[in-house]
Amino acid sequence: MRFKHALGLLSAAAMSLALAGAATAQDKTVKIGVILPMSGGTASIGAHAKAALEVAVDIINNAHPELEKLPLAKNAGLAGLSGAKVELVIADNQGSPATGQNQALRLITEEKVVAILGAYQSGITLTASAIAEKYGIPFLTPESVAANLTERGFKWFFRTTPIAPDFVRIYDQFLTDMKAAGAKTDAIALVHDNTEYGSSVANTIATGFKEKGRAGVIDVAYPVNATDLQSQVLQLKEKKPDVVLMISYTSDAILFAKTMQSLDYKPPLLLADDAGYSDPSFIKAVGKLSQGVFNRSAWAVGPAGSPSAVVADMYKKKSGEEMEDTVGRQMQGFFVLVDAIDRAGSTDPAKIQAALKATDLKPDQLIMGYQGVKFDDKGQNVLASAYIIQLQDGENYVSVWPKTNAEKAPMLPYKGW
Amino acid sequence: MRRLLWPSVFLALAIAYPLLLASPFQQRLGALVLLYAIAASAWNIVGGYAGQVSVGHVVFFGCGAYAAMGSYAKFGLSPLFGIPGGIVIAVALAAIIGVPTLRLSGHYFSMATIAVAETMRLIVTNTEWLGAAVGLSGPTVARNVFDLSFISSLPYYYLFLGVLVITLLITWWMTNSRMGFYLRAIKDSERAARSLGAPASRTKLYAFMLSAALTSVAGALYAMMVGFVDPESGLGILISVKILIMAALGGAGLLFGPVVGAAILVPLEEISNSWLGGKGAGLTFVVYGAIILLIARFQPGGILSLINRTVGKDRKPARAEGAGHAP
Amino acid sequence: MSLILVQVIVGGLLLGAVYALFSSGLTLVWGMMNIVNFAHGDFVMLGMYVAFVVYTLMGGGPILGAPLATLVLATLGVIVYFGLIRDIMKGPMLAQILGTFGLALLLRYSVFWWFGANFQSLPQNIVGGTYAVAGLRIEASRLLAGVVALLVTLGLHLLLTRTSLGSKMLAVAEDATAAQLMGIRPDTMQAIAWAIAAGATGLAGALIANFFYIVPTVGETLGIVAFVTVSLGGFGSVPGALVAGLLIGVIESLSGYLIGAVYKDIVVYLLFLFFLWFRPQGLMGKM
Repeated sequence: MRFKHALGLLSAAAMSLALAGAATAQDKTVKIGVILPMSGGTASIGAHAKAALEVAVDIINNAHPELEKLPLAKNAGLAGLSGAKVELVIADNQGSPATGQNQALRLITEEKVVAILGAYQSGITLTASAIAEKYGIPFLTPESVAANLTERGFKWFFRTTPIAPDFVRIYDQFLTDMKAAGAKTDAIALVHDNTEYGSSVANTIATGFKEKGRAGVIDVAYPVNATDLQSQVLQLKEKKPDVVLMISYTSDAILFAKTMQSLDYKPPLLLADDAGYSDPSFIKAVGKLSQGVFNRSAWAVGPAGSPSAVVADMYKKKSGEEMEDTVGRQMQGFFVLVDAIDRAGSTDPAKIQAALKATDLKPDQLIMGYQGVKFDDKGQNVLASAYIIQLQDGENYVSVWPKTNAEKAPMLPYKGW
Repeated sequence: MRRLLWPSVFLALAIAYPLLLASPFQQRLGALVLLYAIAASAWNIVGGYAGQVSVGHVVFFGCGAYAAMGSYAKFGLSPLFGIPGGIVIAVALAAIIGVPTLRLSGHYFSMATIAVAETMRLIVTNTEWLGAAVGLSGPTVARNVFDLSFISSLPYYYLFLGVLVITLLITWWMTNSRMGFYLRAIKDSERAARSLGAPASRTKLYAFMLSAALTSVAGALYAMMVGFVDPESGLGILISVKILIMAALGGAGLLFGPVVGAAILVPLEEISNSWLGGKGAGLTFVVYGAIILLIARFQPGGILSLINRTVGKDRKPARAEGAGHAP
Repeated sequence: MSLILVQVIVGGLLLGAVYALFSSGLTLVWGMMNIVNFAHGDFVMLGMYVAFVVYTLMGGGPILGAPLATLVLATLGVIVYFGLIRDIMKGPMLAQILGTFGLALLLRYSVFWWFGANFQSLPQNIVGGTYAVAGLRIEASRLLAGVVALLVTLGLHLLLTRTSLGSKMLAVAEDATAAQLMGIRPDTMQAIAWAIAAGATGLAGALIANFFYIVPTVGETLGIVAFVTVSLGGFGSVPGALVAGLLIGVIESLSGYLIGAVYKDIVVYLLFLFFLWFRPQGLMGKM
């Protein structure tokens, strides 16, 4: 009979469902769920973030007196939980909001994680955090910048990263300073892809610049993962903006750099909004064609022996890559989350939530260049900030702005290749 | 009565499943299996029975998903309004797409449906009113029960089970009606069917519209459970492929084929992701890809066709053949 | 006409030639065996990785990478034919989609597993910089790909129309049973077709790698372009793929420049649907 066999298959499927539920609880470890893109087009970010978080776990679980300024580094384990160790449970969101949600549910109910960090793509952060909210588990996003995430009235949602309105402030001040230094900054072209990240950040910057009296903003949008960008570069070549602001992922950032060289186009000032331009793959691929590009980053290596330099070293040993802003923000978010668990002295979600709300970290307790970490009612870090860095030699970014934090003076105009 | 015995047992088991395996993750997996079973069964009407391999069915899925989230985000209504709303839009769209494309045969039809789906995705991505790339969200905190925003997966599970039963009943009724008779004739040979007076174009169009309506219901249900839709998750071509693969893997053109396909592939995907995904080595998809490949290689008619053959089924099932080379 | 517009069109033609280059293999197997290869984009990706490995291990450019990619992919084509295609060809179209999609995931994520998810790239000047002719700028690596596209199209066309091997292949495509009665072995012919198609695709990948980025998922981006190109050109028509590729390239470039890049794909798809309405067999396909 047909149905009998169908039934057999179904019960086999059901059995495998049952097996999936077999999770063993371990004592003395605090499990933290992490949702990242580990497959698909953004998988390189997941791979880098995984390495960075493993370094962070090493710093927390083992004694690192050389990093004593960072919370949790000096002693082994969490002092507030009598030396308990932290354990990462990483899940792949597969670039799908539904999968992100499934994995959030699995992390909470099967793996019994005490908090979740994630999920890179804003759309997936949106759906995965909705599950955490329903279950009353703290969810911290170190990366997702979509404005609506903190506008939902969630009580368990926190975000450490700077967001688009912060970018507007940073870019506006930076461009004002560059103008004072003699650069022309009147006509600004916003080059962005049509993803949620690209279009929403470009929108916020366009309106923000208008409010600050910067007219003459040109919008150049393109489809993400473009097969060809010659038309866009030619558009820029024709319109001759003073400043080109790139809001792009790695794939398109690489193609832009190559196309700009082949069409011999150099804007006087090229400024990038993090993302693709921070990816070490970008520098390896086309760094030499992008000398002098400015980039937003809250990460700067700092002098030898400084906590950030030590962390950068550990990360390079682990992954073989240079430390950069994207993974730095992941790591910082993780430290903030674990610091709250440590201060809560408990794995009770409500106590962790309260500790997160009471977070007040100073700049010297961070590896990133935020002015601190302190959450408002909506869960947004109000002290999030960033520097401007520049790829002066085509190999390594150096911080050039603001002056208080600059290793070198900004180099103008854009050199290219 | 014997014919009803096994479906009843099967249904009873489906009703009991979430009560026996009570973990929230397993309940949610069960709900997802049912959801994809609805979508794949809906696809089966046109892809399996009519033999028109649509790779753009996500358009109708998106109609439902966007109608559900749109009724909440744009009009403050319950996402439930997305079910009738999505059906109306999907059926209208199916008529518009179907008239010119259904006369195309084989691969041309498949390509046309891909092009339609991609066009829709790009249009929605650039439409501010539909949330553009950011997407539309559902109610995060339920105002009342009609917002269908539950913590537990159980309400979704039983809702989906009900819709699946209705979908299968409609499919079953269709195959035993005049329409099903025409469809079988058309699939065997459209020219012969036409010359015998079967209204081929009209029958195919009706099947396409019926399939679109049911697919849009699946889309609306999906959006209600996830509480969010964006162009990639509501209109991405991969969802079409996923639906198609479930139907083909279980057995296209067989009533329970898509259900079997969903019951195998959804847990396979989620569980292999849970076990292997976090390592970030892409092994989830190596396993997933290899299994699909092997089934296609050794059981091209789908898993249920194997069972039918080995058991020597007395009644000949609708042939699981699409266009293309027949032996 | 302004110089920039000329540059846009020239760029579009070069882009279109590249589209044609990586579509010719797809149209060949599609036309000959009526099979949809969903793994086609991943064949291009494999060609790119061969070129990448040749460069990183031996420092060789396209002179070494391109022939090697052709060879490796041709071998893979034969393996895939005997291991998978020969059997799923006899099945329904759905089994073909199922099988080749499974193959696509398997190839994509095997490469992912081996090489990781990082974006790779070959040095910009691996082929020899950019030519500036009368104010126009033409990248040598793209020009090379364009010239090879023309040669491959011409070569395949001559092979199919002027050689006895080509006639045998077409005979098998027309009626395998009849061909067998004439003493032609369908298996051999079809395996040869797969070797040629996959080889051409590998060659395309190796040449595209000179100016594009390399990543395991790049096949997704390129695969769908190949599908549209082949359908527009007419399934099985190698010259059709060239014409369609050039047309799509120019339309994409022009619409990207004139009405905005986010709409250029919509223009291409609408054009494709419009053509299907009036000429369902494609530009140069047979009914």
